Amino acid sequence: MNDGRGADESNRKSGLTRRQFFGGLGLGGLTLGLAGVGVVAARRAAAERLLWQIDPFKCVQCGQCRTHCVMAESAVKCVHDFPMCGICDRCVAYLSANSSDLSNGAENELCPLGAIRRELIEPPYFEYLIEEPLCTACGLCVMRCAKAGKGSLYLQVRHDRCLNCNQCSIAAKCPAEAFVRLPAEEAYVVRHLGLEDLDRRLRDAPGGTR
Amino acid sequence: MTFRQPIAIRRRSSAKAMLSALVGLLLLLTLFGGSAGAQAPLVLPAPEFETDYQRPELSHPLADGLWRDGLYVGALVLALAAAVWLVHWRRSRRGMAVLSIFSLAFFGFWLLGCICPIGSVQNIGLGLSDSSYILPWAAVAVFVLPLGVALVYGRVFCGGVCPLGAVQDVVLLRAVRVPEWLDKPLGLIPFAYLSLAVVLATTGGPFIICQYDPFIGLFRMSGEMWLIMSGLGLLLLGMFVARPYCRFLCPYGVLLGLCSSVTRRRVSTSPGQCVNCRLCEKACPMGAIRPATEERGRQT
Repeated sequence: MNDGRGADESNRKSGLTRRQFFGGLGLGGLTLGLAGVGVVAARRAAAERLLWQIDPFKCVQCGQCRTHCVMAESAVKCVHDFPMCGICDRCVAYLSANSSDLSNGAENELCPLGAIRRELIEPPYFEYLIEEPLCTACGLCVMRCAKAGKGSLYLQVRHDRCLNCNQCSIAAKCPAEAFVRLPAEEAYVVRHLGLEDLDRRLRDAPGGTR
Repeated sequence: MTFRQPIAIRRRSSAKAMLSALVGLLLLLTLFGGSAGAQAPLVLPAPEFETDYQRPELSHPLADGLWRDGLYVGALVLALAAAVWLVHWRRSRRGMAVLSIFSLAFFGFWLLGCICPIGSVQNIGLGLSDSSYILPWAAVAVFVLPLGVALVYGRVFCGGVCPLGAVQDVVLLRAVRVPEWLDKPLGLIPFAYLSLAVVLATTGGPFIICQYDPFIGLFRMSGEMWLIMSGLGLLLLGMFVARPYCRFLCPYGVLLGLCSSVTRRRVSTSPGQCVNCRLCEKACPMGAIRPATEERGRQT
């Protein structure tokens, strides 16, 4: 009994109890650990803000961009790359393949929302404009344009709508693994600039692998 | 005019078809026979329009840019500083309540919850294991800051800054004390959740903490129905059990708890003035105040 009290006294004299000693050890260890993780992570971190984009050369138009965005209205929209468009009179992405006649009646339009507007430039050329608020990113027109047209339509993440989630929930589901991240200064993949341009930009992006 | 589109598919004679097939085959052979650069040009030359028509420009609406991440991290630093001051110097519970309502509005409903310290665990895990992963700098900052503060001042992040904690605090009506036999085993779930999330993230799997965040759907007013319903369910439970997500699920809370367990500066009752009425023990909604124990060395 006396011995115990004696030990306690001597501990108090040296200014360190067993509890304080292990507490200090834990504090030091955790501080070092956190600092270590912080330094290593900071060296791997990118200074730029990175934004989600779809690689149009990988996209398979599965239609999940419409359903898997965290927002009620998907941040992905159909984009029309005008320099690639054939400006045809009869656009394969505008008219349904099943329509028996080639009139532009609403029943013959491919887009279920009627989000593609057809306007006469001068005969026989027409331009096709995407009504973005109507588009649901279902990818029907994109698929038809890729298969039977010039491939000027593609699905793309629109940054004025995208919340830039930590983990894009469409990217998590994308079967083609077509989602990439690009620095915010030049954050759009433009299809007509080609695959080489995208590859170069992905290589230059921090941590880029392609 | 140099550029004309066929209006309908024309019929070709079979000889012509044969010829075109042959040419096509030759083209294919040259394409796949080694010359990689031989790709069809993507841009079609515009025809000579008679009107002065110009092709529309591609619109590329911009994102919020770097200031958004800067604003987030800056606000986090300020909120943490305010929480430390309110807890350790001001000792004001009302102040903390005001701060958490601000955090709920700002980090939750205005910044829509992303990126948060809870989810950043996965970014850090993936960033450390996979060098090709692009680690956002904001993820590093929001991971390190609350833990660093917890090492010195305890987990003030939970009390005043975390929007997920705040949304549960505002619905709390009357806290029922969870019995210890239930509290202890349920408290082990976060450890399992954290391990699973880190293992999945480091092996290139999904970010489950973000994917199954029960409250983010409320902040964004959209999301998967079952997740929003489970968030509402947690809030219903939270009316009687204080902060059920924080205590029995939150994976980041494990790390914060670890850091705050070794901190020197704690909130404590004043030992000299304590009359052992144990009112504080009963009042603590989290059941975090345990009965006083004698120090081992003096138990003689």
